[in-house]
Amino acid sequence: MTGSDVTTAGGTAGDRAVFGRRLPLVTGAAIAAGLFAALLSPPDAVQGELVRLMYVHVPTAWVAYLSYAVTLVTSIGWLWRRSPGLDRLAAASAEVGVFFTGLTIVLGSVWGRPTWGVWWTWDARLVTTALLFFIYLGYLALRRAVPEPALRARRSAVFGVVAFAQVPLVHFSVLWWRTLHQPPTVLRPGDPTIDHTMLATLVLSVVAFTLLYALLVRARARLAEAQDALETADLVRPGAVAGAAVTAPQKEGSCG
Amino acid sequence: MTVAAGPAPDARVTPLTQCLLLAGKDLRLERRTGEALLVTAPFGAVALLLVPLSVGVDTPLLRQLGPAMYWLVVLLFGVLVTLRTSAVDSAAQLAMLRLAGVSARVRLAGRALGNGLLLLGFELLLAPVAVLLYNPDLTGWAWQVPVFVLVAAGLAVLGALADALAAGLAGRTTLGPLLVAPVAVPLLLGATGVLTAARYGRPPWPWLVLVLTVDLVAALLAAWCARYLEELT
Repeated sequence: MTGSDVTTAGGTAGDRAVFGRRLPLVTGAAIAAGLFAALLSPPDAVQGELVRLMYVHVPTAWVAYLSYAVTLVTSIGWLWRRSPGLDRLAAASAEVGVFFTGLTIVLGSVWGRPTWGVWWTWDARLVTTALLFFIYLGYLALRRAVPEPALRARRSAVFGVVAFAQVPLVHFSVLWWRTLHQPPTVLRPGDPTIDHTMLATLVLSVVAFTLLYALLVRARARLAEAQDALETADLVRPGAVAGAAVTAPQKEGSCG
Repeated sequence: MTVAAGPAPDARVTPLTQCLLLAGKDLRLERRTGEALLVTAPFGAVALLLVPLSVGVDTPLLRQLGPAMYWLVVLLFGVLVTLRTSAVDSAAQLAMLRLAGVSARVRLAGRALGNGLLLLGFELLLAPVAVLLYNPDLTGWAWQVPVFVLVAAGLAVLGALADALAAGLAGRTTLGPLLVAPVAVPLLLGATGVLTAARYGRPPWPWLVLVLTVDLVAALLAAWCARYLEELT
């Protein structure tokens, strides 16, 4: 954002260019509705009030999966079409995914302390989620390590496809291993085992977080586009010729 | 003197032969530099020696931990074997291979085959060290034979992929392990699972199938993305 941006009651013109106008309003409304529904929903028969954490923990995990799926699809798309926009979208989605994966682990830990009595346990779902976090940190490290845009896009697109192989492992870990973490209650064949009032609240939260994801990814991709444009402009701007600071010797009294 | 005219010899070299020649080239380079087996393997042995010092000299506990420590060292140090400096192809070498008609897929397969053989040697060098230091329960040791081969194969392919992705980067040897180690965790789980299952008299097949599945998925992904990696260099 530059100093010439006009500040208004709702933010600056620069903010609007990055975040847009309608999506922040819709996202804010959805988050407010989700929060309201989460506070009004009944407590769980076993977990009591702790169940309210589920309305944040599950959507953050969902958004993490969604982020990596978008990174996969846009990476394949980049390898096919070579569009810079797809690379920016893949990177933005992975960044947001890493943030939400970290948030999922932290929220799960906060929930686990009163429920299981520990902040961390060697549960298959926890461990595979932590591995997923590190795999995509590797993806971001790979992007940072390659300065040239086309090479960076190609390498990260290939790794974006390879890395996604971990996502099904995380999802099915609760079925393949005996774990403390509960098995799927919503994304499972047949009727969800969760109470339907809670399910409605959860779905509302998932929608709100998905909108938040869309907002963040769009903003990050727009910032990356602006950064690319700035770098391109710097490249094409004529710079001072080497040696321009050195002037030719002049005879005394001839300057002026 | 005239040369008798005869049918021209068939100059085509099959992809399998190309792959074997490339793996042989990598092994010859390793014989000259000794980077994997004379530097990384002793470093792995040092790690196996240091673990008991940090855990404490509790012989029954170390006996139980031994196999797991062995496979952990194989995974972490094995990645270093796949990212060895002698496995870096110069631009001139790559140009020569391209001109000779060696495809990117064959080059990646050759590198993976060379990695696999070196990793197998690495595993076989470290195994007696682990047995000597930890004195583990060797019940069902015969099941380790396919595990050695399958883990070496999986790690070799993943290492070749990471090597290609990090080629030419300043942080190649630090970035590569970050890319490979988390993805290779199912290999670690499978290798240790086979031992535990054999020790308790359970069939170790599911763990072997897990390692084999990882190997196949890694090989398919490598075969698919080889042509995209070709444009990197």
